Amino acid sequence: MPLAMCSFVCSDIFFLSFQVQSEDSVLLFVIAWTITEIIRYSFYTFSLLNHLPYIIKWARYTLFIVLYPMGVSGELLTIYAALPFVRQAGLYSISLPNKYNFSFDYYAFLILVMISYIPLFPQLYFHMLHQRRKVLSGTEEHKKFD
Amino acid sequence: MFKRHKSLERKREFLFQGLPQSTMKNNTRNFHSLSQLVLSAGPLKATRTLKLSKTTHFEIEILDAHTRKQICVVDKVPQTSTIHDVKQKFHKACPKWYPSRVGLQLEYGGPFLKDYVTIQSVAASSIITLYFTDLGRQVSWTTVFLAEYSGPLLIYILFYLRSSYIYDAKESSRRPRHPVVHLACFCHCIHYIRHLLETLFVHKVSSGHSPTKNLIKGCAFYWGFTSWIAYYINHPRYTPPSFGNRQIIVSAINFLICEAGNHFINTVLAHPNHTGSNACFPSPNYNPFTWLFFLVSCPNYTYEIGSWISFTVMTQTLPVGIFTILMSIQMTLWAQKKHKIYQKKFNSCVHRKSAIIPFIL
Repeated sequence: MPLAMCSFVCSDIFFLSFQVQSEDSVLLFVIAWTITEIIRYSFYTFSLLNHLPYIIKWARYTLFIVLYPMGVSGELLTIYAALPFVRQAGLYSISLPNKYNFSFDYYAFLILVMISYIPLFPQLYFHMLHQRRKVLSGTEEHKKFD
Repeated sequence: MFKRHKSLERKREFLFQGLPQSTMKNNTRNFHSLSQLVLSAGPLKATRTLKLSKTTHFEIEILDAHTRKQICVVDKVPQTSTIHDVKQKFHKACPKWYPSRVGLQLEYGGPFLKDYVTIQSVAASSIITLYFTDLGRQVSWTTVFLAEYSGPLLIYILFYLRSSYIYDAKESSRRPRHPVVHLACFCHCIHYIRHLLETLFVHKVSSGHSPTKNLIKGCAFYWGFTSWIAYYINHPRYTPPSFGNRQIIVSAINFLICEAGNHFINTVLAHPNHTGSNACFPSPNYNPFTWLFFLVSCPNYTYEIGSWISFTVMTQTLPVGIFTILMSIQMTLWAQKKHKIYQKKFNSCVHRKSAIIPFIL
């Protein structure tokens, strides 16, 4: 799910407009997601090699507490900044009447995406917190018995 | 996603219970007699006394599948009773678990026992242990179908009446409506009225149930898509089809043919010709619409896809096309599953046919 969110926003920024690319919020979520992804993929790599240093596992399951809210707020601010430009240019929107009787309003779609963050982000966050409790406390117990 | 027509399948299974049940009986008896032979001396006496005595009653111990704690013991269960009777008695003992919500397994992690299975076939001795799982709040299939089909009917009519809450009132009054809009409303309503009447009077849904989640998912899908397509077809700025009256009339006739075909196929499926061990695949009769049975094993799905394709062509609306594609995918998956079941059961009748589209799929 974070991958889907991330790719949506990245493609959004790429296609959207040069006007939005120089916003501060872009810097915010790019930093947050790059750090998250570097840690995540090194976690997967070391897991495959069966040689996982505890620091990577700790980083993956702890740093998200700060990085996920940072990333999500960066994304939301960027989309919010892009809204006036979308409205003005009528970007990616199809309007009636047309031969196939279909319409699509990119502006309304972006607002729906922003609203959908409200139920989806807490689910993701609490899932990661739950995973953290399970994974990190599990290794601590294991260490105690060793 | 949905397991709608599994209920019809269950009805058919009920008719042919002779075949699988005897093999299951044999397997269970073989396994149990072998295990008893290994564990103790003189094991077969127990089963022999079971066969001879006609008055033994079973005692069924019901344990919770997760905690392995005993919930209750159902005793004085006669030999000829089925799992359904056991569930009724269990409901009387513990009123909280009504029969459709109860899932009983013979061993932990095994398959759920069907309602028509008799206790005698699964019993190794006169005391049996069954594991209970709560299947969650259940809703009967009839309720699911009625809710799923009456929603679109009402929603489409709501949009057809062009309420000022949805469309701009000035624009609605300014432009006259093209006849295809009226025809589309008529066809759409006929489709769902036919579905509702068939659910009420034709389909012999064995009292199967499904979890409430399926009801909500199905309703959301049907109602959501119907509002989406109704919005575009009844919009003041609707554009009629490009090829004009020819396109409309041909697709309307096609729609009516497919609807009639679907109806006749459902009638044939509800009243099969033969029953029992000689039963074969539903056979085509004098009605030309049923001749599709020669080519395809699930012609009701074929006709349904045909109706929706003609509706798409008739209205030339992209959202209807998207809905048709999604329904076709779903129905193709169901048809292929059914086709596999038919191939396993009646290989002689079915091997030359395809699942849903003649010669192709």
